[in-house]
Amino acid sequence: MPDDLKPDELDDYLRGGSDVSCQYKRESAPLPPHELDQRVLKVAGSLNSKTPFKPQSLAPFAFAASVLLSLALVLAMVFGPQVKKPDDTPQVVRVRIFKSEPRAVPASPRERSPVLWLEDINALRRAGRRNEADAEMRRFRSAYPDYIIPISE
Amino acid sequence: MDFEDDDAGLMLRYRDGDAAAFAALYAHYKGPLYRYLLRHARSASAAADLFQEVWSHLIATRARYEPRAKFATFLFHIAHNCAVDFFRRDLNLREGVPAHDSESSLLEAEVPEHQRPDRAAEFAEQQSAVLAAVAALPQEQREAFLLREETGLNIEEIARITDVPIETAKSRLRYAVRKLKNSLRPMQEPEALRLRTYA
Repeated sequence: MPDDLKPDELDDYLRGGSDVSCQYKRESAPLPPHELDQRVLKVAGSLNSKTPFKPQSLAPFAFAASVLLSLALVLAMVFGPQVKKPDDTPQVVRVRIFKSEPRAVPASPRERSPVLWLEDINALRRAGRRNEADAEMRRFRSAYPDYIIPISE
Repeated sequence: MDFEDDDAGLMLRYRDGDAAAFAALYAHYKGPLYRYLLRHARSASAAADLFQEVWSHLIATRARYEPRAKFATFLFHIAHNCAVDFFRRDLNLREGVPAHDSESSLLEAEVPEHQRPDRAAEFAEQQSAVLAAVAALPQEQREAFLLREETGLNIEEIARITDVPIETAKSRLRYAVRKLKNSLRPMQEPEALRLRTYA
């Protein structure tokens, strides 16, 4: 350290008692231009929206997603095959058609029992479709010529 | 060393996505940082470029921020590094040294505004005596003085910012204060004489 520098000058300055510091502080304090402010804040804001999530902030989402996926997998395994059984719906429809309306075109005699065929013919009669019932009866007779029709029929 | 002050807390919040925390930090530091750069680089256009460069660097590296020092120390360390690069480029231009790196090549055609004779004269005229005296200090001493005045940081922190031993930072500041005192004395004495005459 040169001789002309007194150690207490610096201490005085650091304590804030120096004229140099007072004079500097009296100077104007320019600020950055407004456009510069806008530019910096815009960059900070735009980059902030692209901030990658930190791993710890993703943890709850990852946990929730894995729980949901596991649950969906279990449900698919337990209920999936039964829900998609292809034969259930057509069977129900067939029964309803048969009960609500007698067949206009009878199946072949080999497929139908005489009892059910006679029930169909009676249903046609009850529905007032007398001509169709008579035509069915003729077919029935040709198919089952020996069948003894009960009196009630 | 784990260190955390209020501004470091704001920076941590910004790191985690809080844009309002950045706005608060910016509002607090824009003035001191701008004045440090303006009076260190001695050019308004260079100061504006450096100012943007410092904040851009802080924004780009925010994800890696850990509070290991005061936030002011962190911010002004970035500013110091940017200023060092600026002065290195400036020196290359003045000495006509061909630039080797790509960044310098881009600047080859540019002449810093404060080197133009008209601008240099204008800059000197606009300055008060104390600012002219600060501008006349050697670069390292000027920086130590400006860091002390604009941030209020102690010598240890100034040493950390400027990457020098504490004794070196202390010595720079001491020389700066001494030179400023000497520069301002001729101006103060006539003023004191005038006051005595009127009294």
